Amino acid sequence: MNILFAVILGLAMGAVFGIALEKSRVFEPGTIVSQMQLRTFLMLKVFLTAVVTGLVVLAVLNGAWGVKMFPKALVWQADIVGGMLLGVGISIAGACPGTVFAQIGAGYRDAWFTVTGGILGAMTFGYLEPALRPIMLSGGPGKLTLDQVAHIPFWAFALAVAAALAGVLAVVERFKPWREEAGPDFDGLAALASRPERSTPASLSSASA
Amino acid sequence: MTLRDKAWSPYAARILIGLLQIPAFLLIETALGTSSSYVTIAAHIAAFADTSVGKMDYFAKHMYGAKNLWQVAMVIGIVVGAFASMKMSGARRQTISPVWNRAVGFRSLSSRAPMAFAGGFIMVLGARIADGCTTGHGISGVAQLALGSTVAVTAMFAGAIATALLMKRV
Repeated sequence: MNILFAVILGLAMGAVFGIALEKSRVFEPGTIVSQMQLRTFLMLKVFLTAVVTGLVVLAVLNGAWGVKMFPKALVWQADIVGGMLLGVGISIAGACPGTVFAQIGAGYRDAWFTVTGGILGAMTFGYLEPALRPIMLSGGPGKLTLDQVAHIPFWAFALAVAAALAGVLAVVERFKPWREEAGPDFDGLAALASRPERSTPASLSSASA
Repeated sequence: MTLRDKAWSPYAARILIGLLQIPAFLLIETALGTSSSYVTIAAHIAAFADTSVGKMDYFAKHMYGAKNLWQVAMVIGIVVGAFASMKMSGARRQTISPVWNRAVGFRSLSSRAPMAFAGGFIMVLGARIADGCTTGHGISGVAQLALGSTVAVTAMFAGAIATALLMKRV
């Protein structure tokens, strides 16, 4: 693989990714926090839609052309402890490791601190990895997938799961239309009856702090 | 649905992201992910101060090569794409989101910055322990029906919901 090609492709794919994240408003801290307080469901919709699309794409790529798959291994301790820490961090940061870059692009200045913290977190993990590997990063059944467990061809299982999730999405959308969930200022926050006046933008109060 | 809109249907936007799996699988031979780019960047920074980094397996395997540099280029592309999209729609964001005033009473960048830093630290540390983030485990892993990713995503939502419920209602 030519490095220059990989970098140009990465920039191009990232640009599409960034536009899609910005337009979907899923990068908004308001979208993330209100989703996790189960007040809105925009993040779940965006997330499940990407999963459904991925399932269909991979069912076709793998089922019709046998394109190789890259599932990650199941390691119980790592998946549970790491997953929970990831979740705690997501609510505190108001971002995911990928969407924080869209926050930077859209103008949120605290996102620079989130990325800096993330780089330090990655560095800490890199130094701890040799010590953690024997106790929580290894063992487990390996790269297990649901279709293998059920002995059903991947493409069939994937399309069935995609159909089921699409059904869930249709029901959620019926009760929680996305245009309302994006909010009047597209920041993932519904208008409050007693919403504080926005005449004091955060940029002004930060100057005085 | 044009670039001048401030919001697209979440379905349209994310179908686009799901389709990005095609070039990822066919050209880079990997699934879409973003959190290992933090390791690549961290390894290069650590290498300035610590010459042994290049000999540490985990750092070394993330430092060079097309897959690692592709992912770093992709997160830079996300910044550029989101910036261009925001410029075209005019939905420029303030210094910090109003959600932080509602949830924890923070109105200034200086009060929010330590929280953002801590959140980023915990988030990426967790993602590296689990070997993937919302993109790698969530979107790519679940789409491959990987059992480990399904477990990690369930744990992620559990941790995130518990934390968000400790904050004030937004």
